[in-house]
Amino acid sequence: MPIVIAPLNTELRIVRISADDKTKKHLENLGITINGEVSVLSKSGGTVVCKIKDGRIALDSNLSTKIFVA
Amino acid sequence: MKRFALAGNPNCGKTTLFNSLTGSTAHVGNWPGVTVDKRDGVYKKCAEEVKIVDLPGIYSLSPYTPEEVIARNYILDEKPDCVINIVDATNLERNLYLTTQIMEIDVPMVVALNMMDAVEKQGDKIDEKELEKRLGVPVIKISALKEEGLKELMDKAYNESNKTREGVTVLEKSSLSHLIGDVKIALKGQKVSNPLFHAIKLVEQDSIEVEMHKSTVSMVEEFKNTFNDEIFGTDFEALVADARYKYISKNFAPVLSRADKTKFKMTKSDKADKVLTHKIWGIPIFLVILFGIFHLTFSENLLWLGSIFNMPSLKDLGLLTAGGDPMNFGVKLLACIYDGAIYSPGVIINNIWNDLIVGELFGLIKGGVEASGMAPWAIGLINDGIIEGIGAVLSFLPPILVLFLFFSILEDSGYMARIAFILDRMFRKFGLSGRAFLPMIMGFGCSVPAMINTRTLADEKERTATIRVIPFFSCGAKLPILTAVAGAIVARFGVGNADLITYGMYLLGIITAICSVLLMRSTSLKGETPPFIMELPAYHAPQFKNLMAHLWDKTKHFVKKAFTIIFASTVVIWVLSHFDFTWHMLEDEQINQSILAQISMLFQPIFTPLGFGSQLGQYGWVFVLAAVSGLIAKENVISTFATLAACLAAASSGIIEGLDISAEDGVDAVVAMIRVTGITIPGLLAFIAFNMTTIPCFAAVATAKAELQSSKRYHGTLVFWIVTSFAVSAMVYTIGSWWWTMFIWAAAIAVVVLCIIAYNKRQTLKQQ
Repeated sequence: MPIVIAPLNTELRIVRISADDKTKKHLENLGITINGEVSVLSKSGGTVVCKIKDGRIALDSNLSTKIFVA
Repeated sequence: MKRFALAGNPNCGKTTLFNSLTGSTAHVGNWPGVTVDKRDGVYKKCAEEVKIVDLPGIYSLSPYTPEEVIARNYILDEKPDCVINIVDATNLERNLYLTTQIMEIDVPMVVALNMMDAVEKQGDKIDEKELEKRLGVPVIKISALKEEGLKELMDKAYNESNKTREGVTVLEKSSLSHLIGDVKIALKGQKVSNPLFHAIKLVEQDSIEVEMHKSTVSMVEEFKNTFNDEIFGTDFEALVADARYKYISKNFAPVLSRADKTKFKMTKSDKADKVLTHKIWGIPIFLVILFGIFHLTFSENLLWLGSIFNMPSLKDLGLLTAGGDPMNFGVKLLACIYDGAIYSPGVIINNIWNDLIVGELFGLIKGGVEASGMAPWAIGLINDGIIEGIGAVLSFLPPILVLFLFFSILEDSGYMARIAFILDRMFRKFGLSGRAFLPMIMGFGCSVPAMINTRTLADEKERTATIRVIPFFSCGAKLPILTAVAGAIVARFGVGNADLITYGMYLLGIITAICSVLLMRSTSLKGETPPFIMELPAYHAPQFKNLMAHLWDKTKHFVKKAFTIIFASTVVIWVLSHFDFTWHMLEDEQINQSILAQISMLFQPIFTPLGFGSQLGQYGWVFVLAAVSGLIAKENVISTFATLAACLAAASSGIIEGLDISAEDGVDAVVAMIRVTGITIPGLLAFIAFNMTTIPCFAAVATAKAELQSSKRYHGTLVFWIVTSFAVSAMVYTIGSWWWTMFIWAAAIAVVVLCIIAYNKRQTLKQQ
């Protein structure tokens, strides 16, 4: 499921990222990689703040529909 | 001298470390701003003096933003003697991702484990000796904030810089290790330096590398055809990233032992974010904070205490002389802080600086020049030209610094990242990401650092659009134009409220910015809104030392500007307004024959639709001249009025009766201009609007040129500023003078919008 509808404070695994190469590269640098662990801290109107490793990353509503987790 | 480079993620405490190491020797090679350009300084406590270079904060050595390219090129091309990699211990795994990449370059390096105090506060432990063993490079625990471990770090770095180190990679055991090895050998054969680093980046098919090693790319392409990973397919970039993170979690992460094993613990920062980035309350809270900042900087009635308690003015208290001046020095001091209301800190600092320091000092210099017995023209040039001009620039130092201090606090505390996040949804509607907010708000202080700050925007078109609208966010130097003209409107015509006019004009600037961004993003700078991905650093108290370092940079820049550009321009204006085309020196009352007046008159007709052109008659050119002199520096506009008012007083009797044209605020100088030209209120408003939206000052234009990096886009920007300023001020003037022209403008705008929509629709149809 896209991360935007994922439950809060649950350990999730990233399975697919359907963004362009440049964006994907930047996400990878920040630790958002396929197979990586992630949890959602808060959501508001499509935007998502998630916890990756020990950092907090904010994603806009468009991107949060393109990162799929399981 | 040896050179050490500081490299690390954004928000890892790099700037704090840099300030602690270099102290007063820090030097910014370019315009100030938040670490976006190379800063360097000297560290003196090693065996020999060492130059420290602070690189921009980066997440990796792949080029996503221009800052990453700067850092990467520095390490690869300028070959520092040692790289000090600062690692934020509170986010160890993510920070080590960059470390594994720097390790691949053949450069000596040490790892500085920063923020250990925060880790230990949580009861967690990091075994740095074990980490050192596993990484294969020295690891030193430091606290940049408390200046602990710095000596040890630098001694270690110095020690390392005397050795050589060959790049190593954590990708040895990955499925791509063979390919990396082969490419490395091929590159080595071509005598490429740092073969391992380039080989890995080439395998990742990093855009810069592919461009650099075209002949070797085919090796990667060939291998790709025979390769298929279950999860990643042939996406080598993702494969490499995954391999790095896997290695880090397996081998490096275990050095951290956590006291609290519960997974979803809310930190203090998370709790604060629940409120500050709230769906509904986030934006109102931000607006209150923003209003607070402007109130503390500009208000002459702090917290409205004066109005609430009906405080008496100095005049009511009988502390002024008959002429309206303070009775003695004590009262003068009091007048800086209080007059019928307590001033805000920004205004108090401003008053002390302008009335006591600059005012007195320049008064002394002027007196000295007058008594020196120089030729009258020389006295005129020095006193009325140079000193007035420099004084005008220096007088804006306090409000700009105070505003900048508040923004530094927001930035340093981590709140700025949240603002960008909560505004992203709104900005997205205009075709920009929330990141563009920071440079825009900085524009209220000064356009120059604001334009430099656009480097944090990854998308070229978004960057261009942002640079173009930054001047519409009225900067500190434009504020005096607003207050002086608004004050004069109230004083001369007795209508309206000066504050309301000022706020209205600020709003007009913002609306113009929004409309132009919308227009550009749907025509010349079309493109998808870049995605918003931003790290939200943990909140922490801003550090005094960092704030002061920022302010010091800013001050240096301003003083430099005052004594170079402004100095030159005031001399030029003075000379041009005191000589005619045959180079005869003119008396003040002959100003209409001066070169400046003649040239301005030539351009006067163009400004007729804006309300300050031919309809103003003989002396109407003063507004044209003031606007043009504003191109050099916006501070010039009002000081030009003051200079010209003095000249015009001699030429046309009675215009300055009862006015104090040399008053600091410039209101009376503008009133004199209104009397002599008979300009209308809409004409004056259009004049303000023109100054706000036209080509900004020289310094900002030069910055825009440097940042746009393309002469086509730069010329487009100049044309854009001219067209916008004429359109906006013509609209203000005509609608202000004849309200029914509103319908004509509305119709014209509607036609333009419809045309753009129709055109864009046809383009998309064509593409399909």
